[in-house]
Amino acid sequence: MAEEHERPEHTHQAGMRRRTLLRWVVGVGAFSSLAALASVLGTVKPPQTAQRGEKIKAGDVLVFALGQNKGAPLTPTSIVPQQAVLAFPQGKAVQDNLIILINLRRSQFIPPTHLNWLPDGYVAYSAICTHLGCTVGFSHEPMPGVPYPHIHCPCHQGMYNPLAGAEVVAGPPPRPLPQLPLVLNAKGELVADGPFDGPVGPLPGGR
Amino acid sequence: MQRQGLGWFEERLGWSGFREKFLDKAFPMHPSFFLGEIALFSFVILVITGIYLLFSYEPSAQIITVGGRSFPAAYHSVTQIDKQPFGLIVRQVHHWAAHLMIAVVILHLLRVFFTGAFKKPREINWVIGILLLLITVMAGFTGYLLPYDAFSVTASGIGYQIAASIPWIGVALAKFVFAGQFPAIGTIPRFFGYHVVIIPLLLIGLIGLHLLVMIKQKHTEPSSSRGRVAPGRLLGIPLWPQQTSLMVMLFLLMTGGLLLIASIFPVHPIELYGPPGPQTPTVKPDWYFLWVFGLLKLIPGWLEIHLGGTVLDPEVIGGILLPSLLILLIFLVPFLNRTRERQNYLEPVTKHPLRTSIGTGVLMLLLTLSAAAYQEVLDISLAIFRLAAVLLPLLVGIATYLAIRLFRGWRSKTIKRAREPLSSDR
Ligand code: HEM
Ligand code: FES
Repeated sequence: MAEEHERPEHTHQAGMRRRTLLRWVVGVGAFSSLAALASVLGTVKPPQTAQRGEKIKAGDVLVFALGQNKGAPLTPTSIVPQQAVLAFPQGKAVQDNLIILINLRRSQFIPPTHLNWLPDGYVAYSAICTHLGCTVGFSHEPMPGVPYPHIHCPCHQGMYNPLAGAEVVAGPPPRPLPQLPLVLNAKGELVADGPFDGPVGPLPGGR
Repeated sequence: MQRQGLGWFEERLGWSGFREKFLDKAFPMHPSFFLGEIALFSFVILVITGIYLLFSYEPSAQIITVGGRSFPAAYHSVTQIDKQPFGLIVRQVHHWAAHLMIAVVILHLLRVFFTGAFKKPREINWVIGILLLLITVMAGFTGYLLPYDAFSVTASGIGYQIAASIPWIGVALAKFVFAGQFPAIGTIPRFFGYHVVIIPLLLIGLIGLHLLVMIKQKHTEPSSSRGRVAPGRLLGIPLWPQQTSLMVMLFLLMTGGLLLIASIFPVHPIELYGPPGPQTPTVKPDWYFLWVFGLLKLIPGWLEIHLGGTVLDPEVIGGILLPSLLILLIFLVPFLNRTRERQNYLEPVTKHPLRTSIGTGVLMLLLTLSAAAYQEVLDISLAIFRLAAVLLPLLVGIATYLAIRLFRGWRSKTIKRAREPLSSDR
């Protein structure tokens, strides 16, 4: 009788141990599979793109970003007064470095424009809208009902005042366009005298 | 001879059981019941034309040089497709069918909403249906980028920036979805995967589920069928041959119609748009995103919500938060309803004035916001649009409500005058 009593208990205990072992096996197995999976997920991460992030430095020569002169250095005679072109720093033609270069009259500028960055009345701003990153353009002639001159964005009609540090005058952009320090080099070319005075384009969420 | 042949199959396949079970299924008749079918057939046409495009499309944004000019490989391959015999028309049909599918799915949703077909027991199919709508829209968004022209790159870039504006996870999420900071070299291969494999598989699975649930639950019937057949039975035409011939006609009509539209009205002419460059063309998103686009315009730039150490800027509020809220509400529609009985007949829109007026109000809101996307073209100030976005939906909602009340009062009077007992379907 005693024996019969003990047996079920015995098997019960063995069962428990087997179960514990199984739990461990499944647990360790699941854990290591998940750990392996994590390394797979790592590969889903974007491949690093090469040229991105080459920032503008002092001494970078500005060149035409498009048109038939694409790649040619810009000089003060490249742009007619009251007109603008898009430019890149030479050899760093990535979208974040895109510059809008405008030829305006020197005396019209007011702060917060950096007044010492305006050789021959040229002003350079980042051409990337601070709203959602479209490329901005320049109002070539006065039009009824809108401020003149202005930098405008085709995506959501953001507007900036180029004479006042590209302050936002209309639309959704949250910040002015950052300004680029500009000088003339010995050859009379327009060159950057340092990086933009603020972050380019939209800021990441939460800031 | 023929009987023998069929008998041979009958012996092996037990064909008559299948026939009884499925081929004789009754299809209730109402013109609006074809909306779901049109959505289904648009999908079929998209799959067929999509497979054709697959043969020649090159999913890569690498810059290649052809005849001294450089293009992204994807852009160039699409210009080549346009030059193949029938290539352009197939691509145009694919694009038009995408518009049609989204439009029809929305109409299908409206028909289900306004007739109360979402009520018990059809809540599950409502949820599946909304998922189908969202995934169909995602198919449109991912497909839009694939030609990699100036327009599609700009539009997707804005999508990237909106996603990146989500606090905490935004940048990581956007980089994951777009395979890097847009425009990254990895974006096209990843979007190609979404558009031709993942999304179609999801759609096929969900459409299958949607239809299975519908077969199991039976279709709702027009209330004119009430009392004309035994309870639990449907009044309709059998799948074979009547409904099938209608479906074949519908499919052929749609194919013909899409070919006609595609050959008369070109859509997304990438040769005209050109490859992406430093400049941004003036873009408007596809029509089904216009309301979000308009909302982004109307939300003032200074509007920010400070929350738990982070900032929700206008882009998150207009591009993510409010649209998600609306979608969530739409998901909840059948669960806001507290009736316990099973709904087997279409309800007339006048039966629930509140539901109908909320529906028209929301529609008006979406229309106003979409019009706001064209604010600068319409030359109406943002302030007026902001006011309109609040007032117009309210006005339309209230007007709908009053109109239904008036109509019901008028109808019960005429019925009383006719001295007829109220028919049971009221
Ligand atoms: C890809 C998209 C979709 C396809 C291909 C599709 C297909 C269909 C088809 C063929 C039917 C039967 C015919 C009809 O009632 O019109 C149906 C029924 C139904 N669909 Fe969809 N549908 C889609 C999206 C949706 C959406 C977005 C909703 C809801 C928001 C929805 C909700 C329903 C419901 C509740 C039924 C049952 C209707 C009833 O019994 O009266 N579906 N669907
Ligand atoms: S991206 Fe420039 S205004 Fe929106």
